[in-house]
Amino acid sequence: MNIKEIKDIVALMNENEITEFVIEREGFKLSIRKGQQFEKGPAITQVAVPIAPVASSPPPSAPVTVGAKEAEATFIVSPMIGTFYASASADAPPFVEVGQEVDEETVVCIIEAMKVMNEIKAERKGTILEALVENGEAVEFGKKLFRVSGG
Amino acid sequence: MFEKILIANRGEIALRIIRACKELGIRTVAVYSEADVNSMHVRQADEAICIGPAQSAKSYLNIAAIISAAEIADVEAIHPGYGFLAENAHFAEICESCGIRFIGPRPENIRLMGDKVEALMAVKKANIAILPGSEGVVNDRDAALAVAKRIGYPVMIKAVAGGGGRGMRIAHNDVSLANAFLTAQAESEAGFGNPAVYIEKRLEHPRHVEVQILADTQGNVVHLNERDCSIQRRHQKLIEESPSPRLSPKLRAKMGRAAVRLAEAIGYVSAGTVEFLLDRNDYFYFLEMNTRIQVEHPVTEIVTQVDIVKEQIRIAHGKALKLQQSSVGLFGHAIECRINAEDWEKDFAPCAGRVTAYSAPGGPGVRVDSHVYAGYEIPSHYDSMIGKIICVGHTRESATGRMRRALDEYIIEGVKTTIPLHRLILSDPRFRRGKYDTDFVDDLMEVQKKKKA
Repeated sequence: MNIKEIKDIVALMNENEITEFVIEREGFKLSIRKGQQFEKGPAITQVAVPIAPVASSPPPSAPVTVGAKEAEATFIVSPMIGTFYASASADAPPFVEVGQEVDEETVVCIIEAMKVMNEIKAERKGTILEALVENGEAVEFGKKLFRVSGG
Repeated sequence: MFEKILIANRGEIALRIIRACKELGIRTVAVYSEADVNSMHVRQADEAICIGPAQSAKSYLNIAAIISAAEIADVEAIHPGYGFLAENAHFAEICESCGIRFIGPRPENIRLMGDKVEALMAVKKANIAILPGSEGVVNDRDAALAVAKRIGYPVMIKAVAGGGGRGMRIAHNDVSLANAFLTAQAESEAGFGNPAVYIEKRLEHPRHVEVQILADTQGNVVHLNERDCSIQRRHQKLIEESPSPRLSPKLRAKMGRAAVRLAEAIGYVSAGTVEFLLDRNDYFYFLEMNTRIQVEHPVTEIVTQVDIVKEQIRIAHGKALKLQQSSVGLFGHAIECRINAEDWEKDFAPCAGRVTAYSAPGGPGVRVDSHVYAGYEIPSHYDSMIGKIICVGHTRESATGRMRRALDEYIIEGVKTTIPLHRLILSDPRFRRGKYDTDFVDDLMEVQKKKKA
């Protein structure tokens, strides 16, 4: 992709009031985000999406899909601020593993606030694709905890 | 001094506290709801933590979330601002039990003054006049009627757990009292979780005059003179000024001493305000005590040249007050206008929305405390105050003249504001002469209504 193509994309974004644009091709990923009020904002986790090679050779002009990668997967986000724990206790196995099927009632983690251990449920059907936070990590309200594929 | 403080609030007061912290070299942690992600206090703080969705109950009133944020950010103290958890004794206790200093009074101070009936008893003991009334909870309609018969109409029915002008009803005769009593109980239950009400005589044409006090942990108490807050609409303050045009130096000293006496009697710590009603004969009666920093604190800050928020932080850190009563001065005259995003011509309907253009007034003697900026989206979930203009001058005339200029200069587009109402009040001849009482705004609105009809 050359600078002219990027300029065209930015112009398209402005014309259509698109604030985020993500495109991936073999070995290449471009993410453009505009319109943030401030440079410094809350610590929204940027998902490090590994660039998977595309099976067939891509067409010369890649399809414009806004946030395509993120639309395929969804996220379990934290419903509260606290400390994330992947398992019920230090020596217990984690509640969920990558590749595990979950449903609405599956407990995926614990978030502790003021010494109260809150069990967090998946609240949807799907497969755990990735854990985005580490055991013992502080998480704020809305923080992405797990990437989950659609059931 | 503290190294890190968490501000458990939002909007202009959160910004105010952050400013004081910055000047004291203290790192700041802001908490915010999802609706406030683009708020100015989030930007200005050193760290910011999202604690919940827009609803106050799940964010700014969410004690577990706030304490959790405080622990995660490893702060030493929490400043609660005003509103939200500022007068929640339970929250103050939880802070202390978690090893976090609550920047405000002791929990028992909050509890005592938060119970309006208990407060009256403490005030009486401190030899301060209280309004004639039930002086206790009124349990039923018959008891209410008996009280009214004794003290005479009109009367105010007030919520024991209320305050801040909320949960009050007026009654002019037996019939309206009987109805108002039951309604007041229901409203009190709904608003404060406690149906208990008491009754007080309603003064004719009172002025609302309050005294700012500061008390440290070593028993030192000073007052920072008074503010006249009589310009109110439905018991909500619109304009405040210091000094009160009504007070002689003798009366000022008397009221100041009374406020200090009360603070000493209850072992009060931190900043607080003792509110009085002043009648036409210079008698003043205790109304309530606010155990927090108040919206209108800048008015006092400007004429006494004392930074009240910094003093709160110093007091919370255990420092003794350096200020002596004899050195508290009155340098000029200050006036504040509270600017709300409301359509004052449509019964003050709140106007959330995007501020498309914004330019605050400036120049000599003008201070603006506001979190708003061009492009800011005013959320609909919180109170509608978007800023305060405070003007100071050598005299009341120059201060009010300056305020008229500042109101003209203020550009806020995209939402309706109460600036036009303030212009109306500031140009009113009675206001200009300093001759107003708590009925002033309602009277003015009546006149406006008639004009339009």
